[in-house]
Amino acid sequence: MPRNVTSQNNVIETSFCKMIEFDIEFNSFISEWRHCAYISNYLARTVSHNRPDSVLYSNLYSSAFNELLEVAFRTRHPAGVLACRVSRDGETDRIELTFPCTPEEQQFYEYAISQTQGAGAQERYLVSLSGDVAPSRDMVLLELAVDYNATLRLEAVDADTVTLVVDLPFGGLAN
Amino acid sequence: MSLFAHGPLTRFKAQYDPNNQEFSISGSVRPQTIEELAPSLALLKDSIDRVRGILYVNVKRLAQMNNTAFHAFARVIIDACRVRPDLKFVIITSSVVGWTTRKFGRLSHVEPTITVEQYDSAFYPGQSFLEEGGFIPILRTQTNMTWRHERAILPRHGMRSGITMADICCGIGDFAVLVQKEFQPSRIVALDHSKSSLAYARQIAADFDIRGIEYTYGDAAAMLLEDDQFDLVTCRHSLQIFNRPELILKELYRICKPGGRVYITNEKISHCLGEPRSETIQWTYNELSKLFAHFEMDLELGPKNRRCLVEAGFEDIRGESFMVTNLDGDPQEFADVVQSWEDTFAGEMAQQRGDRPEFIKRFRRGFQDHIFAALHPKGYAGWPIWVASGRKPL
Repeated sequence: MPRNVTSQNNVIETSFCKMIEFDIEFNSFISEWRHCAYISNYLARTVSHNRPDSVLYSNLYSSAFNELLEVAFRTRHPAGVLACRVSRDGETDRIELTFPCTPEEQQFYEYAISQTQGAGAQERYLVSLSGDVAPSRDMVLLELAVDYNATLRLEAVDADTVTLVVDLPFGGLAN
Repeated sequence: MSLFAHGPLTRFKAQYDPNNQEFSISGSVRPQTIEELAPSLALLKDSIDRVRGILYVNVKRLAQMNNTAFHAFARVIIDACRVRPDLKFVIITSSVVGWTTRKFGRLSHVEPTITVEQYDSAFYPGQSFLEEGGFIPILRTQTNMTWRHERAILPRHGMRSGITMADICCGIGDFAVLVQKEFQPSRIVALDHSKSSLAYARQIAADFDIRGIEYTYGDAAAMLLEDDQFDLVTCRHSLQIFNRPELILKELYRICKPGGRVYITNEKISHCLGEPRSETIQWTYNELSKLFAHFEMDLELGPKNRRCLVEAGFEDIRGESFMVTNLDGDPQEFADVVQSWEDTFAGEMAQQRGDRPEFIKRFRRGFQDHIFAALHPKGYAGWPIWVASGRKPL
């Protein structure tokens, strides 16, 4: 059934239908790097079957979702839970990823999310591409906004947990 | 000579072809650290050192690449642009992999000597005769004519309710619709490389509220579909119009589940027949076979089905044939199909080969005589089809 979600930043009534929800002990999740690919591929295939081009959609969805999972993986917290909720509203799919996070990291993510917004996002991404520094988690989020047209926001659940909310708008894509 | 580098568990492959000055990377590249890519990055650097003028970077078979890998490869290319201003990079992407053109396209904003070209509908340009414009509507009639036979044949080749199936080279998707209505598989993925055919298929599905068929765009010789997914993989009337059918068969094998079956149909067009006027009909269809051969298509493939499946690694090969005739249903349907063959084959195809008018006139005559036979109250007209399937070993 549709549920109403209130954005932290914008009070907008939306009607995303929950499709899949799962959680996993964070220790188990970070025990194997390939969990990111396994989870993203499996979920992508599961939610793609009724899109106009299921294979194209699944490939894109998996790419974006894998990046988010890799971001969470790299926090490497020793405890807690990784929780994921996938929902849909028309051509937009939403991924809500909740994972352990220190207050300092919360500030990092708040800043990183702010960098994904506004007209300067693309230029910031190009600057980071041309720079010599290895890609960091904030650049991954920036790339999701620039290359996937994703809308990102952050919800701080409590002091040691954060939720990344990412809307992916490519439901109508087809070749 | 090519150089190769493989990633962990060979999930991806990088290679350099010096003859074409092409570095290609394919598969899924999702390393945790850049160090995992060291052999492939070294190969790219080595490729750059070897080339002059243009280095083609082929990523059209690159299904996945995470940011760690993307930035590592991008870093090498950007650095090379800065130290080798004489060098141009052309990155070749595919629209089948939706993220690549945009992501790699950003690099041209960083360095103008990097350009991105999307490899697209030119998968099989020779087949455009059969995919565009007026030929599409007649395909529905053809499918209806063959379906009268195949609906009884398919269960002998693994078709049953509840299976997962893929129809590769689905064309306008009408076979998938008929299968769904008759056999109710739990899932049908229908793939083709013709965007106009897929658009038609999706429109029909929408108009008739047909659900459960996933129409998807792709190259049958290099599909994004994962291994071992389907109980039954069908590929009808298509291997015969690819210049390298063994590449398609390899992919059909790959996506089929162990124990599942791959079902193919092909023609032997020179065996089309009719009475009366059998001689002129025979001559035209012999010539039609040669015309397709000129465009590297083998319309005589039907009786070679068994060999193809054996050589692709299948077991428990089952084969049979059937004849679509003017007696199956409305003879006018048969006549309409032959007329469309004449329009396309004696029209655009023969002209493109450079055939002389007197040849084309005689060529057309056989099609008209086939129509005459189909519509004659005492006549008989036939179009034979060869069917075969093989089981993927467990």
